[in-house]
Amino acid sequence: MRLVIGEGSCGVAAGAGKVRQALQERMGPQEPFTLGSTGCIGMCFLEPIVELYDGDALLRRLVRVRPEDAGDILQAARSGELEGVERLAIAPEDAAFLERQTRIVLRNCGRIDPKNIEDYRRAGGYQALEKVLTSMTPEQVIEEIKISGLAGRGGAGFPTWFKWDAARKNAGPKHLICNADEGDPGAFMDRAVIESDPHSLIEGMLIGAYAIGAAEMIVYVRAEYPLAIVHLELAIEQARQAGLLEENILGTGFSCDMRIKAGAGAFVCGEETALIESLEGKRGMPRLKPPFPAERGYMDEPSNINNVETFANVAWILQHGGAAFAAIGTENSKGTKVFALTGKIRRGGLVEVPMGKTLRHVIFDIGGGIRGDKTFKAVQMGGPSGGCIPASLLDTVIDYKALSATGAIMGSGGMVVMDESTCMVGMAKFFLDFTAKESCGKCVHCRLGTKRMQEILTRLTEGRGKQGDVELLEELCLAIKDGALCGLGQTAPNPVLTTIRYFREEYDRHIQDKKCPAGECPALRRYAIDPDRCKGCTLCAGKCPVGAIRGQAKQAHEIDPEVCIRCDQCRQLCRFDAISVE
Amino acid sequence: METIQLTIDGRTVTGRAGQTILAIAAENGIEIPNLCYDKSLKIYGACGLCVVEAENSPKLLRACATKASDGMVVRTDTPRALQARKVALELLLSDHEGDCKGPCALRCPAHTEVQAYIKQIALGNDREAVAIIKEKIPLPASIGRVCPHPCEADCRRGLVEQPLSIAYLKAFAADRDLASGDPFRPTCQPDTGKRVAVVGGGPAGLSAAYYLRLAGHRVTVLDAMPEMGGMLRYGIPEYRLPKRVLAREIEEIRQTGVELVNGVRLGRDMSLEDLRKEYDAVLLAVGAWRSRGVGCPGENLTGVLGGIDFLRAVNLGESVSIGKRVAVVGGGNTAMDACRTAVRCGAERVYVVYRRTRAEAPAEDLEISEAIEEGVEFKFLTNPAQVLGENGHVIGLKLQVMALGEPDASGRRRPVPMENTFELLEVDTVIAAIGQDCDPAGLSQVSLSRKGTVEADETTCATNLEGVFAAGDATNRGASIAIEAIAEGDRAAAAVDAWLTGKPMNFPEPYYSKKEVTAEMLADREKKPREAMGVRAPDVRRRDFDSVIQGFSEAQARREAARCLECGCHDYQDCRLIYFANQRPIQPERFAGEKHPGFKEQALVSIERDQGKCVLCALCVRACREQAGKGLLGLVGRGFPTVIRPEFQDSEAVRDCAGCHLCADLCPTGALKILGKR
Repeated sequence: MRLVIGEGSCGVAAGAGKVRQALQERMGPQEPFTLGSTGCIGMCFLEPIVELYDGDALLRRLVRVRPEDAGDILQAARSGELEGVERLAIAPEDAAFLERQTRIVLRNCGRIDPKNIEDYRRAGGYQALEKVLTSMTPEQVIEEIKISGLAGRGGAGFPTWFKWDAARKNAGPKHLICNADEGDPGAFMDRAVIESDPHSLIEGMLIGAYAIGAAEMIVYVRAEYPLAIVHLELAIEQARQAGLLEENILGTGFSCDMRIKAGAGAFVCGEETALIESLEGKRGMPRLKPPFPAERGYMDEPSNINNVETFANVAWILQHGGAAFAAIGTENSKGTKVFALTGKIRRGGLVEVPMGKTLRHVIFDIGGGIRGDKTFKAVQMGGPSGGCIPASLLDTVIDYKALSATGAIMGSGGMVVMDESTCMVGMAKFFLDFTAKESCGKCVHCRLGTKRMQEILTRLTEGRGKQGDVELLEELCLAIKDGALCGLGQTAPNPVLTTIRYFREEYDRHIQDKKCPAGECPALRRYAIDPDRCKGCTLCAGKCPVGAIRGQAKQAHEIDPEVCIRCDQCRQLCRFDAISVE
Repeated sequence: METIQLTIDGRTVTGRAGQTILAIAAENGIEIPNLCYDKSLKIYGACGLCVVEAENSPKLLRACATKASDGMVVRTDTPRALQARKVALELLLSDHEGDCKGPCALRCPAHTEVQAYIKQIALGNDREAVAIIKEKIPLPASIGRVCPHPCEADCRRGLVEQPLSIAYLKAFAADRDLASGDPFRPTCQPDTGKRVAVVGGGPAGLSAAYYLRLAGHRVTVLDAMPEMGGMLRYGIPEYRLPKRVLAREIEEIRQTGVELVNGVRLGRDMSLEDLRKEYDAVLLAVGAWRSRGVGCPGENLTGVLGGIDFLRAVNLGESVSIGKRVAVVGGGNTAMDACRTAVRCGAERVYVVYRRTRAEAPAEDLEISEAIEEGVEFKFLTNPAQVLGENGHVIGLKLQVMALGEPDASGRRRPVPMENTFELLEVDTVIAAIGQDCDPAGLSQVSLSRKGTVEADETTCATNLEGVFAAGDATNRGASIAIEAIAEGDRAAAAVDAWLTGKPMNFPEPYYSKKEVTAEMLADREKKPREAMGVRAPDVRRRDFDSVIQGFSEAQARREAARCLECGCHDYQDCRLIYFANQRPIQPERFAGEKHPGFKEQALVSIERDQGKCVLCALCVRACREQAGKGLLGLVGRGFPTVIRPEFQDSEAVRDCAGCHLCADLCPTGALKILGKR
């Protein structure tokens, strides 16, 4: 019998550490079971998760475990009697969350111990590398990737083989760089892969390094991912010990080493040329392309940059063949895509599905739809560079072209689900706040354009919008798309453009009526006390932090809208449901 | 090296393989706007102005960074490229915290380069100062004496203590120049062979004549009066503007080759028809010489005079019969001229009747004070109800007493009559100085406004008649101050010149960056009081027509000129941002929002950086790193608040500066200023 705790960042955040502590405190020196660890299982909404295995057979997946449950779990693990933990077992409809997925990138996530290279090997790890190094030429590797149709998973969707081929054809010392600076708000699949299956990244990169002829591999990880860095450092060390890095790898004569560069946390460093500047120790600001990195990248030498998820596909493709990968998906988009499902969704977490599935499938069949009794309004795809997709387009399939046609993008896989209580102007403002703050400051269109857009959106959400503001926003959007230097700037207007496209009426209401139809913009909310319901208990008046509520005891109270700061405390306090919000 | 051929804006040009579109365009004299490019530095691509379109390229290309290829077809002026460029400029200017020009120059109707000539006066270069003034004002010694100087009202020194004495400094420099024996004389463009008739030799006509002559045209000024100068000669009293000064300046205009003909009146000695036949263009600048009446019963009695008529008669040296007790009606500068002239003509009691209070009076406050000093009595809040007469002659003035009511359209409080409250003034002369109208004699073909003024286009001065232009008091809104007439004369000259030479007739108002400045922002400035102009004692000066003011001494003038705060940008002439901003219409106001703080930092590498004017092109950063090999500067912060400061905020880095000034030399705006240098 084995007990395994999900200890990815999401599990730890939900309390996996306390659960482990509670279990360990109650464990004796000799137990008939082992206590192991795994990474992210993908069901963030059910963390902390403890699994009971008999050998490789999963007996029970226990969810939302609390430290108090430790006794029952230990009892079950010792006795094999599972009745005491049945109340913790995952519900069948929740279990479907995983069952309905097709996992290639996440194939080992939540199944192996990321800190143990042997676990990875037992799952078939490093077989692809051995096959590549012993029986394939770099050209054959690139050909296989070409057959697979793998496209860059970082957002742009550029064919991976093409970049590899370009880098391969350029002479000189070369660098293979992994972009693990996952910065989109709401995206965390790269973190999960590094934390939960670091060797799949190392193996994928080694194959890529062999294909392009790189002498060095660098993983640029954001410093905000400390657990990922620890796991990757450990995995690199284990790989070195196993002869999988440095000189003469697997005795084949191929040599390449890997190092980690922790990024100091600038969104723009996820843009490949800014990432290179940052690697070189400079301020992270995009360079002009061309020259592309394949020609002049890191240290002005040929470099190839791929995203974590892209590399995580590579070993699988080489192991199963490019054709097997290409068999999955649509004409334009091959393989699977991992999405980080967040927001007002019932079941949030990591979802990997074949290309070609609909958004409805991901959000409703797997994610379980909207939490509570609200209705679905839109989903934001691709983070700040992406756009929102309304309910009417839920049957859009996951495909680079189909998603672009909506005005959104595939992006790196962030999927923020919104319900009717989400203000779309506020949503656009949220992303513009982000991009304006994260603009590197280099080019005029992005530095000042996003700032001005943010200011206009702010005044809309505060009831200070003017006629013509939407048109001004659109004009700015188009100019920024055309004039910004890098991809991040060029795509920054997308959240605004798509919300205007699908929810123009909401913008107009903010301007004309100074109302937020979703009721989310605090400055536009109006609190009022129903004099028929108010008993004059004085509770709200006493708690109001700004003294906006006046009234005699046992008589109906009133709120002064000029003073009210819309903190909502009064409404929450009122026992008579007398306070309404408009 | 391999040669390539491409087309830019329809022109076939040749370049070398590997060159960028921008480099090839520059070599072939095609300007593509840019702010962050320098050929000696690595490509940066930040400003986004150099975007162009190329055939078969779906994206806009940055000309600075895109290598040209053989057969490429590039357009720099497609709607899409222009739009991206326009928005970039508007965004930059929406965050630009600086004054292109000082408020003085912007307020001056003629947009005289005040700051520049004041600087020259401060440096002791009076001739240079006059050269700058005469780019806009051909009569500086005269205007310096009579101008009500709206520039001074906006002078920021006024926020510190008192405004600069701009007008008198102008007169000082011009007087010195004229007295120098080698006065400034402009060069005229080669003769164009075109002939222009200017009807009217007042400030508008003389200015237009002067600038048309400078442009190479043959100009004849035709004037009805015995001497040139118009209202400056016949409306302004001698004690304010000595006629020899005016005559001397008109002589300078004549020196340029302008033909001056006096004693010919339009409609009497010549017709507009004749002039149109004889000349290639005609400019009407006939002025407004008709005094308005008092507008109450009794205004036709003997002893009721028009203000302008009175002043003209005195200036002509005619014997004017003026009584012992004079009432001047009106609160403007003509009223002041009339009342003070009446004093000098020997009147014993002189009153000014004005329906509002001193605060609302359009006359300069100094003029009112000087009139009071000379014994003039002001009857504020009174209005003539009736001129009383006996035997057809004035014996008194019945005044309606007024009170101030609600503000009217002009913002001034409206005077309202107080019921049954009257006052009697015993006078034998009433001078109406409440406005002047244009005499439409000889103007029958020209389309006139309801006021009887010539209808002329506000920017091109064109009338309804082909080749006939109009400027000055005789146009549109009617009489105004001399500097307005000069400004219109300047504009008319440009328009007539454009018309004669077939140049485009549009004169868009240039875009200027402006900054809000408050007294608090200037609190650290050393207080330096305004130099007092010496004036002759009231009881002496009221007896003659000699000049009231005595002029600045040289020491005074230099001190006064040195008070200038130099509000306008030191780099305005060379500023690439404003140059590109003025190529096409822009509206940065629509993006108005937060500006990054416009503080100045002097500790930066021996050069003052005005963060408000920095456009973050990073030319300074790159020049310091790539050319000077120092790398002392860097970008600090992220997003909107990004600024350029010593790398890693390390102010110690300043010590390594070699003072090469490459940074300041490359700065496209006025953000960097080498200290101790203008």
